[in-house]
Amino acid sequence: MNFDPENPNWTAYALGELSENEAKDYEQEVKTNPEAAAFVSEVRAFSQQLEDSLQPETVELNPEQRESVKAEAKKKPKGKLINIPYSAWGTLTAAAAVLVLVGVGFLVDPRTVQPYEFSDEEIRNAPSRQAPMESPEGYVAAKPNVSVTPSSATVKEPVQARKQISETERMEFGKQLSVADSPASNPKIDTDGIDSIGTMSSPMVMTGLFAGRSAVGRRSGMKIVDEGYSNFSAISPSIEHYDRITGNVFKRTDEHPLSTFSIDVDTASYSNMRRFLKGGQLPPKDSIRIEELINYFSYDYPAPDGEHPFAAHMEMHPCPWNQDHQLLKVGLQGKELAVENRPAANLVFLLDVSGSMNSANKLPLVKRAMRLLVKQLGEADRISIVVYAGASGLVLPATSCDQDEVILAALERLSAGGGTNGGAGIDLAYKVAQDNFVEGGINRVILCTDGDFNIGTVQTGDLTRLIEDKAKNGVFLTVLGFGMGNLKDSMMEELSNKGNGNYGYIDTFSEARKMLVDQLMGTLVTIAKDVKIQVDFNPAHVAGYRLIGYENRRLNKEDFNDDKKDAGEIGAGHTVTAFYEIIPAGIEVDGRPAVDESKYVQAPALLKDADASEWLTLRLRYKQPDEDVSTKLEIPFAPYTVDATPSQDYLFASAVAEFGLLLRDSEHAPGASFGAVLDRTVSSIGTDKHGYRREFLELVRNANALK
Amino acid sequence: MEMKPLKPSEDDEKAAWVESLVDEYEKPLCGYAYNLLRDPDRARDAVQETFLRLCKEPRSKLAGHEAGWLFRVCRSRALDILRKEKPVNQLSEEQQAVLPSDTAGPSEQAQQQDLMSRLPSLLNQLPERQGEVIRLKFQQHLSYKEIADALEISVSNVGFLIHTGLKTLRSDFNALEGAHS
Repeated sequence: MNFDPENPNWTAYALGELSENEAKDYEQEVKTNPEAAAFVSEVRAFSQQLEDSLQPETVELNPEQRESVKAEAKKKPKGKLINIPYSAWGTLTAAAAVLVLVGVGFLVDPRTVQPYEFSDEEIRNAPSRQAPMESPEGYVAAKPNVSVTPSSATVKEPVQARKQISETERMEFGKQLSVADSPASNPKIDTDGIDSIGTMSSPMVMTGLFAGRSAVGRRSGMKIVDEGYSNFSAISPSIEHYDRITGNVFKRTDEHPLSTFSIDVDTASYSNMRRFLKGGQLPPKDSIRIEELINYFSYDYPAPDGEHPFAAHMEMHPCPWNQDHQLLKVGLQGKELAVENRPAANLVFLLDVSGSMNSANKLPLVKRAMRLLVKQLGEADRISIVVYAGASGLVLPATSCDQDEVILAALERLSAGGGTNGGAGIDLAYKVAQDNFVEGGINRVILCTDGDFNIGTVQTGDLTRLIEDKAKNGVFLTVLGFGMGNLKDSMMEELSNKGNGNYGYIDTFSEARKMLVDQLMGTLVTIAKDVKIQVDFNPAHVAGYRLIGYENRRLNKEDFNDDKKDAGEIGAGHTVTAFYEIIPAGIEVDGRPAVDESKYVQAPALLKDADASEWLTLRLRYKQPDEDVSTKLEIPFAPYTVDATPSQDYLFASAVAEFGLLLRDSEHAPGASFGAVLDRTVSSIGTDKHGYRREFLELVRNANALK
Repeated sequence: MEMKPLKPSEDDEKAAWVESLVDEYEKPLCGYAYNLLRDPDRARDAVQETFLRLCKEPRSKLAGHEAGWLFRVCRSRALDILRKEKPVNQLSEEQQAVLPSDTAGPSEQAQQQDLMSRLPSLLNQLPERQGEVIRLKFQQHLSYKEIADALEISVSNVGFLIHTGLKTLRSDFNALEGAHS
């Protein structure tokens, strides 16, 4: 078969549509003619791209509709059914239309219509049990929404069934029926909202990487791309923005006995790092926040049993990357909250629908994430949706989550385009949150964005001040970062820090599931705010120390007791883990020149009544979510056994920390190695219910290969 | 579905057959109907009716061309609905004024990775029939034969439409890509 790009069979061949026999000739030609080969591979590559870019199939039947089909399928075929030949279908629909219109004529003439009351039975069965088909126009009988009876003509609607229909309403229904088959269930969006309105009518021009994957493989026989990473494998970090992070240095205990920092439950850095490694690239150093890598995983710490909302645990062993040092793990475990005890939620979604969100892993993923969330919530919970782009608008006023149809339909209409004016959207979202404030409930703005604010209030400083101001009124913030390419990571982290919030980066559907299903309570329910940690080291045992990670969470020692000083929040069931690399007494704290002693002030000496066995004391401060005064806890630490075996969590978390040090090229851990990370990971995977630790193992292998 | 150790009755088999088709085609059909109707509720109605209609069909008659039949019925349902009603979701001028514009701003235009998302709008510029066939092929993943069944045209006609449509799309897309790089 000679190659001819104008011959449609060549396209058919490339798409695998030719039979084996037919294809043989083409195969031969492809082998010998490079032009043909190029054409075929181009068509294939392009079709793959096309498949990937077509919108996900997010519409599906309602459960009621599915049930009605099931019920129908179980019915025995009726004798009255007339089989219509496959080929005669086209003409029948016209007949169906005529029949429906007859019904309408009946309806709009009030003189002929008696008020009709549905029985409960009829309403319940409205969608499935229709008047049996009496005519060959089988279509009408199969229609769920219209029934015609000799004495009355009425419209039944499966979802919004009405018992009594007044004459005027009937008129209304009649009118609607003449233009629409199903008069109700078309979600109305309140156009008298607070600001301008952002209902979208334009077709969703979104791309879909996540839908229909299995279908692609099953039926078209084309290559399946796992998770869609490879479509974006070339990530250009140049447009992404990461602030420079300088690793903490070793501090001498005699000069700085106190180390103070704010907790951080963010996980964004981990999923962002994963995106790079899965795409075959090493992540930029400054994108690695080690504490976020560690806190991506949850650990099995004992739950708090006392008055405090969390419990603290410490564990110390020789440091894996420097056997002369010790590595101390500090773990906090937030108390769990049973799902049934979750307070009512007032959630305001603030969605970035600007042009930059217009790709498969952004807005469509936001929508899928929101669907997940809506499914978790119930009648008592309210969701509002504010969108912002060039302008901002209330797309969905506070709506109870039992009306998930309405919420999902509002989501369905969103599409992306235009510049980004984050400031105006934030204003509106907080206003909506305030208007619907639930005392004692979850009041939270959930910002979904790629952080690319390019209109209006753009300066990070201005935006963070705006958020800081808003956060004072008891509304918490969750920042969900989406997409890549122009991710403004540091801006989003900063926003969540200032807004009493948490920050997660959602690159895949599984990540959305982790934050919004598996760890929903932690994401939504704050159990303590402004949680600060201060470690008071005993120079008798500790010559020096270094906090691993938390670089941008460091606080001054004075900040610890200052209740005005903002710090991190901890959510229900969250675990927070931090590591200190400790230089035991007797070993020189190297790397820094000695400081001249003061001529006037004597260096502080060890207190005489200090407990000699204690290495350190852990101090914690936190506030109840709705209070302004903090509570303090003090926990001394005296390692009673030296040669205890490290716990599984210790092994795993320290492996993650070491991995982070490697990715950051830390000058402080020359002894760190991928081999050691792999060893400890493998030995500490444990039950790994959700597979997160196994995934980590893969990432370590990737990084090892790339370094 | 109930598990029955003994030989399932014909009725059960029928129900299972319908259920498996619902599982397999519900979303593709909804997506297809949505493309035609641009309204999720109308799309759902069209698909529900298609399946209700399926329940009345003897299994043997459709064997081998279920997909074509389903899409064909769904299509005629959808077109019927379209004929009968005016487009919904027309926004007032005032509303449109506050909508984010569909055209990408300068900052986005610089972005190669967003190019892919332009494909659907290029697709919408194709002649109607070509666009529809291409969606059926690449979005609903039907084979040429199934598309031919659904649209009541010949397989070679499908081949021609796909070939021509793809060619236009590719050259439009390449032009767009060229303009960006």
